[in-house]
Amino acid sequence: MEFKDYYKTLDISRDATADEIKKAFRRLARKYHPDVSKETDAEQKMKEINEANAVLSDPEKRAAYDQLERQGFQAGNDFQPPPGWDAGFEFTGQGFSDAQTADFSDFFSQLFKNQMGAGTRHARQMRGEDHHAKIMLDLEDSYHGTTRSLTLRMPKLNNQGHTILVEHTLNVRIPKGVHAGQVIRLAGQGGPGHAGESPGDLFLEVHFKPHQRYRIENKDIYAALPVTPWEAALGATVKIPVPDGLVDVRVPENSQTGRKLRLKGRGIPATTPGDLYLVLEVVLPSATTEKAREFYQTMAQELAFNPRQNLGV
Amino acid sequence: MSQEIDAILLEDARLSLDELARSCRVSREWVIEHVQWGLLQNENLIGADPNVWIFDSRSFVRIKRIVAIERDFECNPELAGLVADLIEEVELLRTRLKASGPNES
Repeated sequence: MEFKDYYKTLDISRDATADEIKKAFRRLARKYHPDVSKETDAEQKMKEINEANAVLSDPEKRAAYDQLERQGFQAGNDFQPPPGWDAGFEFTGQGFSDAQTADFSDFFSQLFKNQMGAGTRHARQMRGEDHHAKIMLDLEDSYHGTTRSLTLRMPKLNNQGHTILVEHTLNVRIPKGVHAGQVIRLAGQGGPGHAGESPGDLFLEVHFKPHQRYRIENKDIYAALPVTPWEAALGATVKIPVPDGLVDVRVPENSQTGRKLRLKGRGIPATTPGDLYLVLEVVLPSATTEKAREFYQTMAQELAFNPRQNLGV
Repeated sequence: MSQEIDAILLEDARLSLDELARSCRVSREWVIEHVQWGLLQNENLIGADPNVWIFDSRSFVRIKRIVAIERDFECNPELAGLVADLIEEVELLRTRLKASGPNES
């Protein structure tokens, strides 16, 4: 286990004031906000920032951590907390919630394992905490349903009554019809209950991996439908693969690029299924052969056509 | 340890006010106030008895987001609501942008 430099994580000096810590945390929380940030590792960074802030913004934990550093531990060192390292420190804060600490590093959980879960162990709230996570699906999963294996770090109470993190694999059967932004609730799969009370629930936010061909908007799917100029002009029936198979689509005559064809009910299946929209894209044959050039020249001569007419030229 | 379990979508799970508040670690009153201020975009709930409120996936995600913004930046609820609006808008636009092909993204 590596010793972590929380000051470096927050990019502050070792004598930073409480106010400077708060400012540094907010600055980084803005930079790495997982919903907005363009940084690729924003989510991981945000976890590290939260962890550093959880320690440094709490005077008692900060003092205990500082003492370890004075004992000569440095970032990257292999680290085991010396026995009784936290003797003399009273952690009076309300502790961390299990769900928060599940995101934190092994280093953190080793150091503060006696405080983990402390927030949930007071008498009034004995039910286990709810946990929140994300699940990434493929578009095809929502058409057919699937079973996904999830590995989560879950806090568990050990024999000494301490909370420890254990890896936990769940095989979740995803129903067909699931769409982005939906939340799955797995009853009883959250944090453990205390004193015989029921465990919390696990909530999974559904996300879809970006798909090369399809764009998903709620229950509707959008895909490009490339057509030839003559198919667009004269009308045609074309074959195209869609998420649930092959379909024959009628392209109306006199169509242009951008025209949307709606296949009702062929979007994500549900009680009220979504629609599938095919957006026409007229593709021109390249004029690299003599024959092709002749055709284009004939069109130029025979068709009086000016696409810039309404631009006044 | 491994087991197979059925996923229940929030739309079928009927998440109540108390369950939502507990899950997001805020008080019942916090949720009621935020609904009444219009910040959760659940206009259909305003005026109804909070004991019969049911929350869907969208409200759940939005509330979690607003809780985190208010906590991390110690900001007022309206600002958190505004940020949440913008995040939702950005998400939608980014999906559209991605789908419009490599040349434009």
